[in-house]
Amino acid sequence: MVPFIAADNPIHHILDKPVSGAEHITLFGKPAITIHMVSLLIAAIVAFIVLRIAAKNISIGREEEGTDRYLTSGKLSSIIEVISLYMRDNVIKPVLGDETSKFLPYLLSLFFFILTCNLLGMIPFMDVQVTAAKLGWGSEIDWAVFGGTATSNLGVTLGLGIVSFIIIQLHAFKSLGIGGWAHHLTGGAPLYLLPIMLPIELMGLFIKPAALAIRLFANMVAGHTMLAVLMMFGMLAFKATGNWVLTGGVEVISTIAAVCISFLELFVAFLQAFIFMFLTTVFIGQMSHHDDEHGHAEAAH
Amino acid sequence: MNMFIASDSPVDVQLLTLGTTIVVFVIFFFLASKFVWPHIVGGLEQREQKLRDDLEAAEEARKQAKEALTQYEEELKKARAEAGEMIAKARQDAKAAAEELRSNNARELAELKNAATADIESAKKAAIGELHAETSTLAVAIAGKILQREISSNDQQQLVNESLAEMSGKIS
Repeated sequence: MVPFIAADNPIHHILDKPVSGAEHITLFGKPAITIHMVSLLIAAIVAFIVLRIAAKNISIGREEEGTDRYLTSGKLSSIIEVISLYMRDNVIKPVLGDETSKFLPYLLSLFFFILTCNLLGMIPFMDVQVTAAKLGWGSEIDWAVFGGTATSNLGVTLGLGIVSFIIIQLHAFKSLGIGGWAHHLTGGAPLYLLPIMLPIELMGLFIKPAALAIRLFANMVAGHTMLAVLMMFGMLAFKATGNWVLTGGVEVISTIAAVCISFLELFVAFLQAFIFMFLTTVFIGQMSHHDDEHGHAEAAH
Repeated sequence: MNMFIASDSPVDVQLLTLGTTIVVFVIFFFLASKFVWPHIVGGLEQREQKLRDDLEAAEEARKQAKEALTQYEEELKKARAEAGEMIAKARQDAKAAAEELRSNNARELAELKNAATADIESAKKAAIGELHAETSTLAVAIAGKILQREISSNDQQQLVNESLAEMSGKIS
């Protein structure tokens, strides 16, 4: 078996795998427990614990603490506070206005959940487990129970997209009513354009969250594939030449490149979480009741 | 399919993964909505409220201080004006008192002067009277000696009167 870290196909690096030891558990002929599922769960737990600690630090303390009770303690809590404050005041409030407080918990949960998945994906948990298993007990297989980037799985991002879709449409029905919602679909176009507008707008309803899902998925896949390709160069050089010196040189260059790309990936991890959250905000905002009927609709399309 | 790979292609959507994502995320969302966001959002809002209250209180205190300063300045101005008035009045009173004193003195002086003049006048008159008597006696004696003869009392009286008239003309 080809060692996992240096797999022939870089795509294998980002593919989902069944959790080692649970390969036999299947549902509809597919593995029932995969490492992306476990990673997703771990990300949710980590995100919840970190946010819970931050919430304790950010909330106003007891009276006897004096004026210090108004200060946020802890660097991570301060970062989370700054991000939350920025998102609320500069991103969500300008779009949603009075409805900000209603959607703030969902949007911030979405952002921090995706961000945690993206950031955890940058830590090579899976490669460490595979290596440890091979070196530790000479495992024949690529032993791993969790790891990888959950958000590089289209199933995961589509799942998040579906939740956003449901939230957007529930809000649309509640805010506009069935009639308003249907009217919204025409985009304010003249009646004779309805045969064209209706199908386009109907498709648009589904395309928007799908685009969210695909954007996040594609960005995560691209970054990790690039990293996998860079890390493969050393092995390819060795296979082609058998020259250790040449392999070492290639390895040094590709490692430097991988480090640079990792910094880019770190940025992308934040950026994509932000974009997913921000576009969900915009889609919710489009489906809100506005006084300037349809002025926004044309701007949005 | 490779048994160690859950899906052969990255775009192969696993419904189970999709479902798991929805369940995990929705649970995460509900837990966060209950235990995280109310605290964070509440903390941020309380902090903002505290800042706003403190700023308003500071603004109010500044306004009060300014009002108090204006009031003090006005009072100070009033007190200064009052003090000025009092000084002016005191000066005026002192001037009036001095003036009164001066006029009293002048009056008393004039009275004293008048009294002295009257005294001098009466003394002068007395002296002149005495002088008349003495002079007449002396004149008679001298005349008697010179003439060596007795003169009649009519002649004597005439001589005395002439001498007195002459003397009065000389003295005055």
